[in-house]
Amino acid sequence: MKQPKQSDQTVKDGKRIMPFIPPEGVPISFAIASIGSRLGAQILDIIFIFIVFFILGIVAYAAGLASTGTQTLFMLLGFLLRTPYYALSELIWNGRTLGKRITGIRVINVDGRRLTPHQVTARNLMKEVEIFTPAALLFAIGSQSPWQDGLTIVWLLAVVIVPLANRRRQRIGDIIAGTLVVDNPRSVLLSDLALSATLSSQAGFEFLPEHLDVYGKYELQTLEDVLRDTTKSFKNEEIVRIVRTITRKIRYPDAVKSGQELLFLKDFYRAQREHLESLKLFGTLRENKYHEHTRTEAKKLV
Amino acid sequence: MMDIGIDGRIDKGAAATVGAVQNDTLRSARFRLEREAHWRQLDALVTRAEKGGAATLGYDEVRNLAAGYRQAMNSLSVARDISLDRALIAYLESLCARAYLVVYAPQESLGGLMTRLLLHGIPQAVRRSALPLFIGFLALVLGALAGYRLCSSDPSWFYTFVPPEMADQRTPDASADYLRSTIYGNERHESDGLAAFSAFLFSHNTGIAVLIFALGVFVSVPSFILTFYNGLILGAFFVMFQQRGLGYDVFAWLSIHGVTELAAISIACAGGAGLGLAVLLPGARTRREALRHQAHDAVKLAILAALMLVVAAFIEGFLRQLVQEPVWRLVIGWGMGAFWVGWLLLGGRESKASRGAVQ
Repeated sequence: MKQPKQSDQTVKDGKRIMPFIPPEGVPISFAIASIGSRLGAQILDIIFIFIVFFILGIVAYAAGLASTGTQTLFMLLGFLLRTPYYALSELIWNGRTLGKRITGIRVINVDGRRLTPHQVTARNLMKEVEIFTPAALLFAIGSQSPWQDGLTIVWLLAVVIVPLANRRRQRIGDIIAGTLVVDNPRSVLLSDLALSATLSSQAGFEFLPEHLDVYGKYELQTLEDVLRDTTKSFKNEEIVRIVRTITRKIRYPDAVKSGQELLFLKDFYRAQREHLESLKLFGTLRENKYHEHTRTEAKKLV
Repeated sequence: MMDIGIDGRIDKGAAATVGAVQNDTLRSARFRLEREAHWRQLDALVTRAEKGGAATLGYDEVRNLAAGYRQAMNSLSVARDISLDRALIAYLESLCARAYLVVYAPQESLGGLMTRLLLHGIPQAVRRSALPLFIGFLALVLGALAGYRLCSSDPSWFYTFVPPEMADQRTPDASADYLRSTIYGNERHESDGLAAFSAFLFSHNTGIAVLIFALGVFVSVPSFILTFYNGLILGAFFVMFQQRGLGYDVFAWLSIHGVTELAAISIACAGGAGLGLAVLLPGARTRREALRHQAHDAVKLAILAALMLVVAAFIEGFLRQLVQEPVWRLVIGWGMGAFWVGWLLLGGRESKASRGAVQ
């Protein structure tokens, strides 16, 4: 079983990122769904089940099936609606129930293969023990003997702690079935900054190799964020300050005229990226501006 | 529909724009320009498949989807090496993830899945889990025997074993006539009460079955105890009727649905016991792996138990009130039993010819 080590997992923007290797062998990653969205999906699903239950009840009542048959009917329905609803909808919609569709999360197979019917059934069978039975017991908490109340509380705690305690936010059913609940990936293709720089740049800032040897990948991508952030571009002082810092750090000889700061940044981004990318092609990846420091450290160790 | 074409990466439209800026672009920007049109095509296909399922795509589109997916994966792998454009890599990652989810969606049709489960999956799983099944039925039989012995020596045990809401008014203090009427009751108020009772029994039994199954993870002990307890109730009930000379009648009354229902409970117990055994005796595997492996059979046993409980509920709700003759009750009940045994023992066996061919 190809389970990536848990230490591989990183946290980005408050989301836990799960590395994942599909059959093609190119690692991709999924953001693990938050407990909040899972709870929301669960509540929505229960509401949907209740609505269906309610409508069927009204239909049965209107059709005159009242009293005798109804109770048996309802017991049957309650049983037939729950686990099969989850299992079938996750099977048909590839890991999404109605509630999960609305909150934008889905179930995937941990080991990178397609979701199997067995996994879907197993994780939803355990739902009976993890959610419905303790919930029913919770409603009965006043009318039970003290030790039954205690048992209910222990049960509830165990069920709640398991997903909170493991890194991948798996509940017991997920662990048994080998599944994972993740956020639906969304993709937006932003424009290429290097390209727009080429088209717009007429001023022609020239950068020498020693200017570009200061920064690394981290600074470049931070600059990318600044340039892409449209709301910040109106705050001129910030841009001016960034430009001033950069010119000081790289010892850029000419002063940047006011009004041309953004152009300077775009040109610098492009030149810096070109430089770093060609370095990377030849095997030297500069993670950040401390690359000189780490190299001397490495020499010392040798 | 444009053909994506794995080999000819540069289609005409992209080539024109590439030509205009070719001289002065970064290698990574050129890389992106050349392939962007394909990514957008894949994006459009994936978006459609996400909305309406892969079934809405035509034959060519599905082919393009698969080819485009591999190509996007390839692009991602290259982009990670040559590009420092974070937006591009993030886009490709999410596009690949979305395409992966569409391409590797479960492809079984529901009908085919059910047929396979009923014809092969369940019978084979049952035949593989002989030991857990033995444990399950043993628990029930031992419970019934213990209940029988205890209650025949001292009827007051009945009140200890049987919860009052289940017993209704059928206690050792009730008259023989009343007890007889609960067995052969077909008057209006009786059937009313019986329907409610069977509804209660059904929810009780499914609840018990689910609990028995799921609690098996804790080294099978809770499963065994719960099934044993169910057996105790059964034994106590039987003794109560038997002491009024209604032994044969109650046996028939229990048989018509009980054969199916009690077997279902034992099978649920077997499923749980299987999980418990995997934790207790994992063999060469790690415990987690053993549990995951055993879960395949256990889930099938649970589905079987659910199926049998639904059948039992129908028999209990309709046939038991309709069929009053003890002989017919016995025939139906044990006939069902024979049907289950026949299905589970004979279903899904490979014929000798095909097995020989495989070898």
